[in-house]
Amino acid sequence: MTSSAVPIAGVGFIRAPDDEPTEAENRARRLRATLAALSTEGTPIRLLHGIEELAVLAAHEALSRSGITMPYRGDDLGVVLGVEEGIDGIKARYYQGILKDGPLGASPLTFPLTTPNTIAARISILFDLRGETFTVGGGNIAGAQALGLAVQALRDGYSTMVLAGGVTCVEQEFLEAASLVRRSGSGRPGGGACLFLLGSRGSSSPAGGGQLLGYGEGFGANDVPDAIQACLEDAGIPPCAVGAVRMAAVCDWRSVVQAVRGADIGVGISHSPSSGLYSASFPLAVAEVAGQPASGTGMPVLVVGRDCLAGAAAAVVQGGK
Amino acid sequence: MVSPFNPDGDRERFWESVCAGETAVGAIRSFDASSYPCRVAAEVPRDLLQGGRAADDPALRMAERAFERALEHAGIAAGIRAPRRAGIIVGTVLGGTTSGERYLRARAADAPGATEALAQYPLRATVAALAEKAGFAGPILTVSTACASGTDAIGLAYRRIASGSADVMVAGGVDAVCELSFSGFSALKALTSDRVRPFSRNRTGLALGEGAAFLVLEREESAKRRAATPLGVIAGYAARADAFHVTAPHRDGRGLAAAVKAVLQDGAVGADEIDYVSAHGTGTPYNDRMETQAMKVALGVRAQRVPISSVKGALGHAFGAAGAIEAAVCLLAIRDGIVPPTANLEEPDPECDLDFVPIRARELTVRTALSLSAGFGGQNAALLIRGWP
Repeated sequence: MTSSAVPIAGVGFIRAPDDEPTEAENRARRLRATLAALSTEGTPIRLLHGIEELAVLAAHEALSRSGITMPYRGDDLGVVLGVEEGIDGIKARYYQGILKDGPLGASPLTFPLTTPNTIAARISILFDLRGETFTVGGGNIAGAQALGLAVQALRDGYSTMVLAGGVTCVEQEFLEAASLVRRSGSGRPGGGACLFLLGSRGSSSPAGGGQLLGYGEGFGANDVPDAIQACLEDAGIPPCAVGAVRMAAVCDWRSVVQAVRGADIGVGISHSPSSGLYSASFPLAVAEVAGQPASGTGMPVLVVGRDCLAGAAAAVVQGGK
Repeated sequence: MVSPFNPDGDRERFWESVCAGETAVGAIRSFDASSYPCRVAAEVPRDLLQGGRAADDPALRMAERAFERALEHAGIAAGIRAPRRAGIIVGTVLGGTTSGERYLRARAADAPGATEALAQYPLRATVAALAEKAGFAGPILTVSTACASGTDAIGLAYRRIASGSADVMVAGGVDAVCELSFSGFSALKALTSDRVRPFSRNRTGLALGEGAAFLVLEREESAKRRAATPLGVIAGYAARADAFHVTAPHRDGRGLAAAVKAVLQDGAVGADEIDYVSAHGTGTPYNDRMETQAMKVALGVRAQRVPISSVKGALGHAFGAAGAIEAAVCLLAIRDGIVPPTANLEEPDPECDLDFVPIRARELTVRTALSLSAGFGGQNAALLIRGWP
């Protein structure tokens, strides 16, 4: 463990492609149980959209696995969430209601969900987390930037624990629109959420969820090489110490391969199965490797993501025991 | 800074108007609001935003203009030496929503040619455009924390500078009036039909506003080395969540009070040292009462004596830009020794019984100012701002 490594106390993640009805039923059952447990005063909790459900389930799982009592009622635990395209469908339908029915088409219930921070707010409210709560929008790397912001807050001592990650709910309409301006990756309809509880209290025992050893970002013409270099420097490890490379959502996978090889990292590169899930893809790729030693070698894994507008992000992840 | 008072970015014109207690709230022009019960907002005339392409998003145009003015004023418009050490954080709630509306309108009408608007729609499009234009390659981030976005953007940039992870950070916020947000606040019955009257007994709600403001932050040694004359110093920042309700603030201002206490701790400043508070002061019944409570809890007896004002009576509520505009107000108050008034505060609310500087500006030495923001979802943020030593 390096001096700047950030422990992963717990992780919760969900992939929700539209074509798996059994999984959807399981998810609905878990959600009902979670909301019933959180409804302390007997008032039913009603979530309005799938993206809220995914985020709440992932948050509950991450907090449970970390041994956190819910509701928490403390301001030393914050939330940092990457959300961008996940609410595009909600915004579009809300505005289509205005176009169709004028002011009467404006739903006061749906309107708050057109505001990106509402998903993080919902988590903060349901679990009573009163620490710093941020929402960041970075497309493919929104979830990565959320992890980066959380790592920084923990290292600089502004937070003790942070629930951080990304969530998305991609709709066909978004994919069609995105393809028109060529900002789509290899997306597909569906949703996903992945939240980590980073950091630890003195009394809590991390659930062997691994560690984030380093994080870096890059922007501009050399975004991917810069992100990889910054990440390795942050982790304090040489390129030869990387055991494997995992690509999260990227807008140009060839540039990532080129940058990895250019950084003298000769190990295998694989695509994350979650790479179609935009804001959630990077945290999901981290989660895929955080719970197990990479390739059986025990060496850390480099996760790389790239967005055609927001730049590139990289994290070095050490698997748990 | 760009606001309805200074579409060209002339900061001094903005400051004169705010201190004179002018109001920019008037009939909405950027879309047809005739079917809504309330029809006012504080807008930047769209024809004065031209200079780019006609299809450009108004938020992007305002952001570009404010960003350029900030670099000029800081004396770094010609470029920076280390692009990887220079970053940008943009706070926004709506991003390019106006462009998204344009696309959806065209699509509903089966009209061709609207797809180019989508390029400026994503939340992250503004920060990407600014970074590309300025050649910055350091930390690039979009933060969206409802009405606290601008304050959080500056606060997070301050932390980047303080931790040494960047040499220069340009941070602020932007948002433009659009029908999507207007219709929502109308449905929530949060809008005024005439004037915004923060902390007044007869306050009737908020008016949408718009604009952009950016601050250039750099390390103190760096500013001294290049003989810059900064407007002031960010001396502290904190954010806390209400964890209470998606649209309503906690009635006792729990989260805002916690943020104020935390920022005083972060800046190692006592409540007695605060000379001026720029309040969030939206003019809605709940917010203004909550904020009064929060200040009493967090500042103790100092809350009864310190001058507090809200510029939203003059400018409306510019959402993601509001916190950044108000941080700039604090810097100008420190520079000139003038506390701007709370416009339209003619009948004080007995439940808002602090010194809210009604109607007229006040001359006063301001060494340390506190800027507060609160937003949907229980977002609260506070900045501590001091004069340049």
